[in-house]
Amino acid sequence: MISKTMLDNQTIMDVLRTIPDPEMPISIVDLGLVERLDIQENSACVSIDILPTFVGCPALPMIEKDIRTKVQAIEGVKEVVVRFVYDPPWSVDRISDVGRKSLAEHGVTVPETGSKLPVPGHDGTVTLHTSAIACPFCESNNTRLESSFGPTRCRMIYYCDDCRNTFEHMKRV
Amino acid sequence: MNTLPENLKKPLTNLLLSVADDKLMLGHRNSDWTGLAPILEEDIAFSSLAQDEIAHAQTLYELISSLTGKSADETAYGRSADEYRCATIVELPDDYNWAVAIARRFFCDHFDLLRLKRLSKSSYKPLADLASRLHAEEKVHVQHVDAWMVRLGHGNDDSKQRLQDALDTIGPYAPMLFEQVDGEAELVEAGIYPQLENEMFIIWCDDLQQVAQQSGLNLTLAAPDADAKGGRRGLHSEHFAPLLDEMCEVYRLEPGAAW
Repeated sequence: MISKTMLDNQTIMDVLRTIPDPEMPISIVDLGLVERLDIQENSACVSIDILPTFVGCPALPMIEKDIRTKVQAIEGVKEVVVRFVYDPPWSVDRISDVGRKSLAEHGVTVPETGSKLPVPGHDGTVTLHTSAIACPFCESNNTRLESSFGPTRCRMIYYCDDCRNTFEHMKRV
Repeated sequence: MNTLPENLKKPLTNLLLSVADDKLMLGHRNSDWTGLAPILEEDIAFSSLAQDEIAHAQTLYELISSLTGKSADETAYGRSADEYRCATIVELPDDYNWAVAIARRFFCDHFDLLRLKRLSKSSYKPLADLASRLHAEEKVHVQHVDAWMVRLGHGNDDSKQRLQDALDTIGPYAPMLFEQVDGEAELVEAGIYPQLENEMFIIWCDDLQQVAQQSGLNLTLAAPDADAKGGRRGLHSEHFAPLLDEMCEVYRLEPGAAW
C-alpha cells in the first residue's frame, strides 16, 4: 500500500500517525485512511491518498487540513497534495489491532474482520439487529441495538443489559 | 476505462443526474424530520440519512462536473425544474406522516441499492469506484428501513394499518423510479450501466415482497408503463417546483458565492 521510495516515507507516516480522527480516539493511520503515499524527490512534493470512511463524514475537511499543516511542517517538504479516493473502498477491516484496542478502551467496538452486513434478496437474507455484540466494558453478550445511527456516520449505539452501559459499535461497511 | 467516449457524456450525465437528484430531493425531504421524528433515535437516524443522501449527491455532482465542466454547486442548485431528473416519489411531501416516510424510503432505498450495484460494475472506473463506496453505505439504509417495516408491521393493528395505507398511497409512484433517462440503452450497451444477473425490476420486486411478507403487509407492484413520461425526462409533479424553490432559496440570493 505504501510505496517504498528512496525518500523517507517513514518520517511522513510517523507524522500522520500523530493525527487523530477528530471524532474518535484513533490515529488516521490506525483507522486505515491512508492508502498511498508518494514523495517526489525533486519537487519535495508529498502526495497522499486518503480513503473516506463515509462519504458524508463532516470530519474529512478537518482531516485534510491537519494533514496539510503537519506534513507541510516537515523539513524539506514544499508541497502537500491530499486526494480523497474510493479505490479500494474503506472498510472497518482496515482498522489496525492497535486501533481496535484503543477504540475498545473508549467503549467503541468494531465488527469482526470479514463479517458481512446481511441485506435482502440476492445479497443475503433480511435480519434485524439481533446478533450479539460483546460489551467492551464487561464482555457480556447480553447486549442489544439501541439505535442504528449514532453520534457519527460510522457508529451505532448498543446497550449492555448486564453492566448497564451504552457503547458504540462501528458500522459494517 | 478512465476516459469516456464523447458521445456517451450526455447520456451518462442524464443517468448520474437521475441518481444524484433522487438523493438530493430524498435527503432534503428526510431532513424535514430533524427535531420532529417520533423518537430520538429516529431523529438521529433521519438526520443521518439526509446527511448521507446529500453527501452522496454531492460526490455525484462532482463526477458530473468532470463531464460537463459546470461546477457541482451550479449543477445541484442552478438548474430549472425541467432539467432535474429525479422520480416523482422523492418529490412528494410526506405531510409528517411517519408511515409514509418509512414507506417511501423502503421503495427508494431498495431501488438505490440495486442501481448502485449496477453502477459499481461500470466499465467507467471513476464511476465504479464511487458507486462501490456508496453501495456499501446504502446497505445500512436498507437494513434500517427493513427493520422498521418489520417493526411497524408487527407492532399493533394501528401501526400495521398505517403502514399498509402508506404503502398503498405511495406504492403506485414507485415503479416510475424505473423510467429510463434519455440515452440509457447506449450506456447499458457500453457496459457503463451494466445489467444485473436478472431484470432489475424483478429483483427489486422480489426484495420488497420478501420484506413485505415478513412484515405481514400487502404489496402490489406493476411494471412501469414503457411510454409513461415522468421525472427522469424532466416532467415533474406539482410538488416539485415549490420544493426546488425552498431548497434553492439561499443559493439564488447570490449564485456562486463562496462559503
